Amino acid sequence: MAILGESGAGKSTLLGLLAGLDAPSSGELKLFGESLAALDEDGRAELRAGRVGFVFQNFQLLPTLTALENVLLPLELAPAADNDARARDWLTRVGLGERLDHLPKQLSGGEQQRVALARAFVTGAELVFADEPTGNLDPATGERIIERLFALNREAGTTLMLVTHDHALARRCDRCLRLIDGQLVDMTPEEVSA
Amino acid sequence: MMASGDSRRDTRRIPGNGLHWLGLAARGLKRDLRAADVRALFVALALAVAASTMIGFFLDRLERGLTRQAGQMLGGDLVLEQGEPFSSELKSTLREAGMTLSDQVDLVSMISRGERFQPASLKVVDSAYPLYGASRVDVGNGVEPLARGPGPGEAWVDPRLESLIDLQLGDEVRVGRTTLTVSGIIEREADQSGGFSSFNPRLMMHVDDLAATGLVQPGSRIEYEILAAGPPAAVSSLDARLEALKRDGVEVRDVRVDRPGLGRALERAEKYLALAGLAAVLLAGVAVAMATRRYVDRHLDTAALLRCFGASQRQLTRLFALQLGWLALAASVCGALLGLAGQAGLLALLTAFLPLELPPPGPLPLALGVLTALAVLVGFAGPTLLRLKRVSALKVLRRELDPLPASAWLVVAMASLVFGGLMWLYSGDLWLSVALLVGGLVMLVILGGVGTLILSGVLRLAALLPQGAHGASSTRALRLGARQLGRRRQASLGQLLAFAVTFAAMAMIGLVRGDLLTAWQDQLPEDTPNYFAINIQPQERDAFVETLAGAVDDRTALYPMVRGRITALNGQPPLEAVPESGRGSNALRRELNLTWRDTLPEGNRLVAGEWFAAGDRVSEAEASFSEAANAGGVGATEPSDEIVPISLEAELAGRLGLGLGDTMSFTIGADTLTGRITSLRDLDWDSFRPNFYVIFPPGVLERFGHTYITAFHLGDEQSSLPGQIVKNFPAVSLLNVEAILGQVRDLLTQVTRSVELVLGFVLLAGISVLYAALIASRPLRAHESGLLRVFGASDRLISRVQGAEFAILGLASGLMGALLAELAAAGIYAGWLDLAPRLHPWLWIGLPLGGALLVGLIGHGLSRSLRRQTPMASLGLLGEA
Repeated sequence: MAILGESGAGKSTLLGLLAGLDAPSSGELKLFGESLAALDEDGRAELRAGRVGFVFQNFQLLPTLTALENVLLPLELAPAADNDARARDWLTRVGLGERLDHLPKQLSGGEQQRVALARAFVTGAELVFADEPTGNLDPATGERIIERLFALNREAGTTLMLVTHDHALARRCDRCLRLIDGQLVDMTPEEVSA
Repeated sequence: MMASGDSRRDTRRIPGNGLHWLGLAARGLKRDLRAADVRALFVALALAVAASTMIGFFLDRLERGLTRQAGQMLGGDLVLEQGEPFSSELKSTLREAGMTLSDQVDLVSMISRGERFQPASLKVVDSAYPLYGASRVDVGNGVEPLARGPGPGEAWVDPRLESLIDLQLGDEVRVGRTTLTVSGIIEREADQSGGFSSFNPRLMMHVDDLAATGLVQPGSRIEYEILAAGPPAAVSSLDARLEALKRDGVEVRDVRVDRPGLGRALERAEKYLALAGLAAVLLAGVAVAMATRRYVDRHLDTAALLRCFGASQRQLTRLFALQLGWLALAASVCGALLGLAGQAGLLALLTAFLPLELPPPGPLPLALGVLTALAVLVGFAGPTLLRLKRVSALKVLRRELDPLPASAWLVVAMASLVFGGLMWLYSGDLWLSVALLVGGLVMLVILGGVGTLILSGVLRLAALLPQGAHGASSTRALRLGARQLGRRRQASLGQLLAFAVTFAAMAMIGLVRGDLLTAWQDQLPEDTPNYFAINIQPQERDAFVETLAGAVDDRTALYPMVRGRITALNGQPPLEAVPESGRGSNALRRELNLTWRDTLPEGNRLVAGEWFAAGDRVSEAEASFSEAANAGGVGATEPSDEIVPISLEAELAGRLGLGLGDTMSFTIGADTLTGRITSLRDLDWDSFRPNFYVIFPPGVLERFGHTYITAFHLGDEQSSLPGQIVKNFPAVSLLNVEAILGQVRDLLTQVTRSVELVLGFVLLAGISVLYAALIASRPLRAHESGLLRVFGASDRLISRVQGAEFAILGLASGLMGALLAELAAAGIYAGWLDLAPRLHPWLWIGLPLGGALLVGLIGHGLSRSLRRQTPMASLGLLGEA
């Protein structure tokens, strides 16, 4: 699913609310069948743990951690013997099997976003939120990242919720919504293509 | 919407056990070691632990060594002394309490060999002697340690008796009505601290021979002693009985109380070490506080991401607390190792000169060291760390959503509480700690005000710098630097305070060191007497003076000496007149050396009353050495019943409960003489000059039998003089104290070095603060220099602006540090180290300039890598690594 909107329309705010990163001041919002309003911040965090993945426009990699360590970060909240192997496996899947020990500053923008993709899927998340995943990349790199994102999404059987202002990107989604004046409106394929 | 796959995991239901979190924290820390702030935290904590364990180890070993040595020097853990034999009931009580006993009798008697007579100080011991240690005696095979006394029929004698009455090993010596065989020459007695405890030469004999001497008669002046050895608990169980004994006039020497002093020099050095240790811990604490701010800033993103991935607040707190716990542990281990090495260094410097054998390091200081690291971490980093817990997950989308920093008051309050606790732990003095802490906090508030003023003043001055069309680049840099500081006034004030406290602590430890050394050097100048001559007969006096006249300086004084016993205080028997605590004082039971003199002796200081007026009593016999050289005979005056003025040593006056106007009566020979105290004197027992408890004005004591005593300094070129004196004045005892003097001087030198080693630690801790503070402000400065670069500033200008900014900060901090150091040093001198406060004018110039240079250099050096970055990288750096 894609959510489209102009700059400043509130796309990121909506994404924060949907993912339970923020609490709505009014109205009701359910994630995995649970009402977010009834949960405090820790409760919402527990709901997300292992079930929600994120891909950010600015990658959000920790600069002092290597690629492997960045991918391990969400896994480390729960002990498992195969954490390390899983992280390596996902980095190999995104084509970075040879660059496990590189720090973010030693990787290109595209590579950094691929690390972020591996991190989003490594926990076996049921739902992945992507906030302008190509916003910081040149068109060609952005295109490759999108290809990979959709491929991983298919492989893992994940639900992908994409926030973007890029119609070309939105066209690849099953369903598109537009955020306009605070309202979500379903878009017809024609509107998306326009 | 939901899909399943074999890769699906449910992390929610596996909360992770303690071990998992420990491992996670350890891995996190390992990764984090790449960051400068973590390294700064590590260094600061390790330094705090190193300083506290080094000093802790050293003082602990010294303390335990002193207890052991005190027992040896006293002759037991408990020594009882009185003028009559002790009851067998008391002895059984002591034995039942678990003490081992040894009886000893001390008396002065004439001994003889053939026709030659000599008064000697007899020490009569039983077979249990000594309870601790060993005597060093030559029994014919050279000097060797012997853990026994002379057997029945034997006598061990002082080597002085060889020159006095030609007594040699194997000779027979007559003591009272019996004859003993000399079987040993004593170099050092097991229960004697060294030096000269008695002016009469020693003869040791066995108690079985005492009755045969016939010396024990009613009215004989004999001291009976019980030496007792036992564990501290056994001694403590006797406390009530000991108190009762003291009230009965028994002198009680207790190893827990009567420590032989290592001298004021070492006492002050101990205090200095403790002070320096605390200063190092405080500085490390400030460094930890500053490095933690940066650590927290840098981990806000990590915390937000972890919140995003589902971590709870508790998990975050646990993760970061454990991570820092690991850091504290690693720093403790490194610090403790460094501390162990440091204390070994301190000991290597001092052991040769400490007259005792030190036990191995105990575990307590190590535990204290680890506790210190944890306490410093909790106190100085705790409140700041809690900020991580409050991070919102939404920060991953909205970067500006940082949690509010911890309140400055909370940070200061928590740090003060913990530091106060540490002070209490180290000093054992709750009120001193509370007072210092409250004083410190008040000072901090005042400093905040003074800092604002100084900062505004310096900034205003910088703004007044000439601003020509092109402006000299250095003044332009100064103006810009000052403006940068002014823009972040709050942050600058924080750094100013931290640096000022740092400079003050460093300067104070340095100042105290310098003044301690000066005080020590003043204490023992080059011409400190190295010879004592005693027992100079009045008829030999002029000839003796003549022999020495050309060789010694005229400050050396010849003191007449009369032996007298206190028989009444304010007309009452002494034991009834003195407070209970003073009844055991041996001044009441032994003869005191009395002297007369018209001027206050050198090294004495009047603390109450007035010195004798010219009209009090003046004799022809002047005691001053230079005048004595020309003086004639001894003035004889008629006995008189009138009360004469006397001067009393202040400490003894305190013990006996006496003050100005009180009277003391003395029995001298068959006469009684009463004096009224008209002055109290303080005197320096470490001065290597003759010192007297009681001084009379001239014209009173001259009629009694007296001898003279003097101390003088002989240089190497006068090495023949002692031989000449021994030959020409056989009755005079000449004591060479050069060896003791040398030992004291060496001790001072070594103490000085140990003090310097500790000073080095404090300076390192200070530099770690500067490092941590500058690391903490790096991202902000990077951002600023990035912006300046975007606006077209050259690398050279940015470098100068940053240099100027650091230099101004250093200058202002140095100025404030000088004020603080001067105040603190004055307080410490007057209140703790017993030194006269003095002003240090150079500090006011040196510290600001040194501060400007040090902060300028370190800051400029640390910013170099930032200046190499492109503006884009600099601008992106804020909030990241």
